[in-house]
Amino acid sequence: MNTVIDVKDLCKTYVVNKKQNNVLKNVNFSIDEGEMVAVMGPSGSGKSTLLYTVSGMDKMTAGSVNFCGKELSGLSDNEMADIRLDEMGFIFQQMYMMKNLTILDNIILPAIKSKKKGESRSAVEKRGRALMKKLGIEETAENDINEVSGGQLQRACICRSMINRPKVIFADEPTGALNRTASKEVMDEMIRLNNEGTTVMLVTHDAGVAAKCGRVLYIVDGNIRGEYRLGKLEKAEEIRDRERKLSNWLMEMGW
Amino acid sequence: MFFRILKKDLKRKKVMNIILLLFVILSAMFASGSINNMVSVYGGIDYFFEKAGMADYMMLTLNQGGNDPAEATILNAASVTAYEKEDIFFYSSKNLLKDGAVYTEFENPGLVTSINNAKITYFTENNEPVKEIAPGHIMIGGILADPDKTTAGDTVTLELSGVSRDFVIDGYIKDALFGSPFMGNSRMLMNDDDYSYYMSDEQIRDASCGCVYYINTNNIKELKKELSTATNALFAESKATFRMTYMLDMLTAALMLVVSICLILISFAMLSFTIKFTINEDFREIGVMKAVGIRTAAIRSLYLIKYLCIACVGAAIGFGFGLPFAKLMLGSVTKRIVIGNDNNILIGMASAAAVVIIIVAFCYSCTRSIKKLSPVDAVRNGETGERYGKKTFLRLSKSKLPGNIFLALNDVLSRPRQYLSMLITFSLCLLLITMLATTANTLMSRNILFLFGTTESDAYYSSTQRIMETMGSDDPDVLDRLIEDIEEKLKENGMPGKVHVELMYTLPVEFGDVKLQVTMQHCKDTKATEYSYLEGYAPAYPNEIALTPQILDELGASVGDRVLIEINGEKREFIISATFTSFNQMGKVGRLCESLEISPNDASSALSFQIDFDDDPSDETISVRIEEMKKIFDTDKIYDKDAFVEISTGSAKAIGTAKDLVLIIAMVIAALVTVLMERSFISKETPEIALMKALGFKNGSVCARHTLRFVVLMVFATLIASALTVPFTALVSNRIFAVMGALSGIRYRIRPLEIFAVYPLMISAVVTASAFFTSLYIKTIHPDAMGNIE
Repeated sequence: MNTVIDVKDLCKTYVVNKKQNNVLKNVNFSIDEGEMVAVMGPSGSGKSTLLYTVSGMDKMTAGSVNFCGKELSGLSDNEMADIRLDEMGFIFQQMYMMKNLTILDNIILPAIKSKKKGESRSAVEKRGRALMKKLGIEETAENDINEVSGGQLQRACICRSMINRPKVIFADEPTGALNRTASKEVMDEMIRLNNEGTTVMLVTHDAGVAAKCGRVLYIVDGNIRGEYRLGKLEKAEEIRDRERKLSNWLMEMGW
Repeated sequence: MFFRILKKDLKRKKVMNIILLLFVILSAMFASGSINNMVSVYGGIDYFFEKAGMADYMMLTLNQGGNDPAEATILNAASVTAYEKEDIFFYSSKNLLKDGAVYTEFENPGLVTSINNAKITYFTENNEPVKEIAPGHIMIGGILADPDKTTAGDTVTLELSGVSRDFVIDGYIKDALFGSPFMGNSRMLMNDDDYSYYMSDEQIRDASCGCVYYINTNNIKELKKELSTATNALFAESKATFRMTYMLDMLTAALMLVVSICLILISFAMLSFTIKFTINEDFREIGVMKAVGIRTAAIRSLYLIKYLCIACVGAAIGFGFGLPFAKLMLGSVTKRIVIGNDNNILIGMASAAAVVIIIVAFCYSCTRSIKKLSPVDAVRNGETGERYGKKTFLRLSKSKLPGNIFLALNDVLSRPRQYLSMLITFSLCLLLITMLATTANTLMSRNILFLFGTTESDAYYSSTQRIMETMGSDDPDVLDRLIEDIEEKLKENGMPGKVHVELMYTLPVEFGDVKLQVTMQHCKDTKATEYSYLEGYAPAYPNEIALTPQILDELGASVGDRVLIEINGEKREFIISATFTSFNQMGKVGRLCESLEISPNDASSALSFQIDFDDDPSDETISVRIEEMKKIFDTDKIYDKDAFVEISTGSAKAIGTAKDLVLIIAMVIAALVTVLMERSFISKETPEIALMKALGFKNGSVCARHTLRFVVLMVFATLIASALTVPFTALVSNRIFAVMGALSGIRYRIRPLEIFAVYPLMISAVVTASAFFTSLYIKTIHPDAMGNIE
């Protein structure tokens, strides 16, 4: 397996009111191609900061992040933007979308901005609609973002994250703002993407969500305290057992 | 507790509050400055005349040694309540020398007055009254108060009948009586010792002396009648007529008035937008406050107090800037008149207070929407499907536009109300410039040649002095010989042509009880049918005349009536066959039929020699020939049609200057509005900008989207301004032209490249540059700032 993310001695420090706050302290881990990794930990442990720093959305203070062979710390803002556009996909807890665009236009916008693929606009539209159909929201294509439900919007966000066929999808509590049904639908889509070969790194508080991932990293006070390998989810029936095992491990870790 | 919230709000929402404060400062500045200007312009010439101490009626006489027969007439006139007499002597351009040569050419005689005998107040360029002038120094007013003709600091020699003395020009004066270029005269103020030095010469006393009378009356009509017997009067007119001579200055001032009104509109459009914008921004906090149980009235009072504080601070600062701003606007366009008002501080304060009241009223009205905001808005970012209508019109998937252009266009079309105030601002800025430019261009174009009572000719040779030499001569053929001489010289130089000249006669006209001195135009070499008329038919017989509506009004006559005109001491009856419109004599002129026998020696003045070449040359050839003629006749005063109009109106330059000033003001306003609006947008759209960056949009791309919105707005503004330029110019300038004498028939000269391309591009460049440089702030927004709402 190829390593797509290799994090070494990653540090992130915020200075607030002249006080130094070390949010990430020498974090080391790697993620292989096709993996689905969950990051868990108590509130304020640095989960989201880790996700944003690894994905280049936030600058690291020290250390290195190697993304598909490219060292992110040395990249300029524009180079980083190109990587985010073409090789990364993002899903956030809040379903952030451009208010003045329809759902379909929001989804295809990154593809239109991407110069890599050189597709015609109609081809992009076709691909956007196909993705929407796959996620069951094709009927919302021409809707404004305030005309659909939270679950539909989050699935639209997944479509947008997928539109440029990224190598890795970063998801920050993708089900955090959704009810149980919508949450299940979204996670099912994520698993399907992962099964199709897309690497996923997600942050979650929900053991049920994490139990669907192949590996769980547990972070406390900016340090990775441990990791738990669950392996690929093969059958839906396994989920209860996986969740129980993970919960036991989390309790051992002080969850 | 509320004050703690307020304090926190002012601190935390620094950017938006500062932007609002800046808008309030701008609004207060525009309002106080512009209302001051409006009051000043409204007071206009009356203020100047009052400050100068002009009387109800003024009369200029020519006399011998100061012994003036007109004074006896004034003393005997029952309608005179008081009068003052100002002694003067006349000089011409050949009397004013520098290093032995003529200093500057001018046509009508100039007047020299002793400052110690001045009966009206003369003002310096800084509007200070001239109280004394040092010996050996002079101050200059009227047509010579022009940097193209004279320069302050120059040493000149005034030499009359062998009496000569050197003077240093101290500067220009504002002279209420002869200050307007329409008067065509100049005034020289000097010390009494210097004045007496010239008056000690008998020849000067006998040949060049005169008086200016400033007469007050309780019956102007009666006074006109009583003074009509003063035979040595060169002219006598009421204050109202002198007021009319400043109409060109008032034209510029009136245009400034329009600018002021536009600035007030712009400032309130900006304020309205900013207040609505900032309150809408706070939906989340309002929702939270409602969610924790704070009453709507309490939330409203919080905002009202905040805006009251900002409004008071902003209005105080804006008021401070308002007065110098008003001065800057008017100062550059009122070189000849003292314009202003004595209550400017009071007006400024009242305007600033009005801005505060309007802001609080706006705020009160805008905070009504707080009622509608619910706690759900706090949870759902204010984007509940129930409250928001459909926003998007364009489809990225269907559009062929590049991504950034699409996004910019879509932003503007999706939220038109958000961009409306900017659209109004940019359109008004452009419209003001294009209106002024069109008016200035028209005043320099052959389109209004007909208003000067001339036919279209290839060239205009202005030499009143040469024509005047023929007047008063006993030889009736002297003018014909002069014309033949010019034609001969043209032929000798390979450009044969016909020459003619419009002569002006001042003739007494009677209709019933009304008796008036009317200037009549007559040209024996053209046909009366070649001129345009408003009503009736061109005078075809010697006993027919055309009069302007202004004269008909004064006479109480109409087309078809018969008037008595005294020609060569004989009263003859004339039929009014037509009316026409004219700039000459502020519209108070008549036209005689070409077949009427009238001696050119009786003319009181003349227009230019008009030259029509035999070979009907092109404009380029005419330009070349004009340059040649300047050498042949040793003068610069030969013009083509456009230049003739420009020189005749004398106002195109002033309006051009006003236009340049407005252009600068418009560019500054456009830049300020753009910077403040763009900064507001960035502040409001921080989460969206962060999202774009998170998705992989580069800084340049996000900046481009923001900048392109302003480009889109400028395109719309250009279309709006282009569509409105002609009707709005006509609406504003037609009235002003009417006051100047031209009641109708103005064809505005539109220079498409200048109006529809150059000015829009200039404003667009400023707006685009301002938007781009402000949008660079986007660089400081990180992709992880999606949740940050200021």
